[in-house]
Amino acid sequence: MVSSGTLHVVSTELTVGSFAMAGAAFLFAGLASHHLLGLQRHVNLFDNVAHFALAFGLLAMPMAIATGIASSPGDGIDHPLLINKMFLSCASLGLALGVLNVRYRQGPSIWAEKWGKRWQMLGGMAASGLILTTASLGGTFSRGESLLDILHLPYDFVPLMPLWLSGLVLLVGIANIVTGRQASA
Amino acid sequence: MRRNFWVMLATLLLFAPSLGSANPSGVGEGAFDAQCGGACHGDADMNRSSTSIVSLHSEAVAYEGLLTSVTVSIENIETTQQGLLGVFLLSSLSGAGDLPSDDGWTIISNSEGGTENYVEITVLPSQDQRNVTWTLRAPSIGQYELHGAIHHGTEDGSEAPFFGQSNTPAVVEVVLVPEDLPRLTSDYAPTTQRLLGESTTMQLETAFVESVEVEWRVAGGEIQTTEVMILSDGTWSFDLPASLQPTVVEWRAHLEGEGPSQTTPWFQLRSEEAPWTVDESAAYVQSFALIVVFMAGFMALQNRRPEGMNIPKLTDEEFEGGQI
Repeated sequence: MVSSGTLHVVSTELTVGSFAMAGAAFLFAGLASHHLLGLQRHVNLFDNVAHFALAFGLLAMPMAIATGIASSPGDGIDHPLLINKMFLSCASLGLALGVLNVRYRQGPSIWAEKWGKRWQMLGGMAASGLILTTASLGGTFSRGESLLDILHLPYDFVPLMPLWLSGLVLLVGIANIVTGRQASA
Repeated sequence: MRRNFWVMLATLLLFAPSLGSANPSGVGEGAFDAQCGGACHGDADMNRSSTSIVSLHSEAVAYEGLLTSVTVSIENIETTQQGLLGVFLLSSLSGAGDLPSDDGWTIISNSEGGTENYVEITVLPSQDQRNVTWTLRAPSIGQYELHGAIHHGTEDGSEAPFFGQSNTPAVVEVVLVPEDLPRLTSDYAPTTQRLLGESTTMQLETAFVESVEVEWRVAGGEIQTTEVMILSDGTWSFDLPASLQPTVVEWRAHLEGEGPSQTTPWFQLRSEEAPWTVDESAAYVQSFALIVVFMAGFMALQNRRPEGMNIPKLTDEEFEGGQI
């Protein structure tokens, strides 16, 4: 029987690999849309790769989370690294959903003007960066070291808001999405 | 509707492997019969025999209602990459109804800081032998058997679960307590856990005792004595020094009185770091809030362009031709 630990390795490689490819493709899409490095004629290719890889990474993410929880020692969330992993992956998930939603609603025109292409590139790259940082935290948690240790990130600091404030922020976010949809409709 | 069905099905299939896998992270300590400790490990149809050697050490005689200790010793340990090993103390090997409590024993503590018959220990790669000790209150007069058992996975996680048990049981004769036997009171239960850096003042409740001497040691180390003070008739106290790192301090008392002198079993006091805790509800709500806020924030950012910056209409053909 395959253990959760083995499945977690497989699913995290799927997720991290997809996000890494998405991040690179967003960078190239941004460069291409800015007519840099002679990449202009490939913007369609980079756009497709970036958004598809991002969507595939999102699909693989639930399995990575579920197997990660199943394979972690102890019960519940009993380490600050695990909380920070959860926060980072959720931030990445939200950002990636936003990037895909904007691309779906505005179509390829998003790459045709300055504001849209700049933020689409940065949003996609930020989502990928957050997932890579999450993966780095996983390495620190399971092996005690990771590549990003050179940055001396404050892994043990948990920026936890009070429950009421998180609830308020959640409501404001939902209200923002609803009013935004109504305005665009 | 049809699309939703396929999305739901795909999501369920993604979760299925983790639901169907074993418990490589263990199931935690608990009151488990051999049959249900970790589910399939105790099932003779599914498991394999462990090559580890399991043996028991105990006093041959215990007094009714008083404390005694039993040690399960595991040698030639094989286990998973995480080093997780499940250890049982059982009253029989029937597979069900085999908790020590089924024979009337009461578990006061175990050397892992719990009060259950099943514990999970982490074995370091360099360790070939481990002991787990239970302190028990003896049942009514009679002869009893106690058995040790273990279960574990394999290092590569690909093999069947393994189960092992002691070849010969520990046989304990429980006898009547002599009238004037110096002893701990029948309801005495020692402290078994404390935090790092805290010294511990222990209290002893005794009967028919005129003097007490207490010995302590870091598990397996040199025996030292500590000063015992009498608080009142039959109540004594002594201090155990603080631990600076997670470890087990063992202590026992020599009880002197008119009756035959008695020595208690070794009691274990585990020192651990203060557990890290968090309000999990707040963490989960904040996680959802982060998803929504980052999504809403990015969509709002892209929808609110500076004035005069409109999205040009671009056909797919123009886009594919690189005309941006």
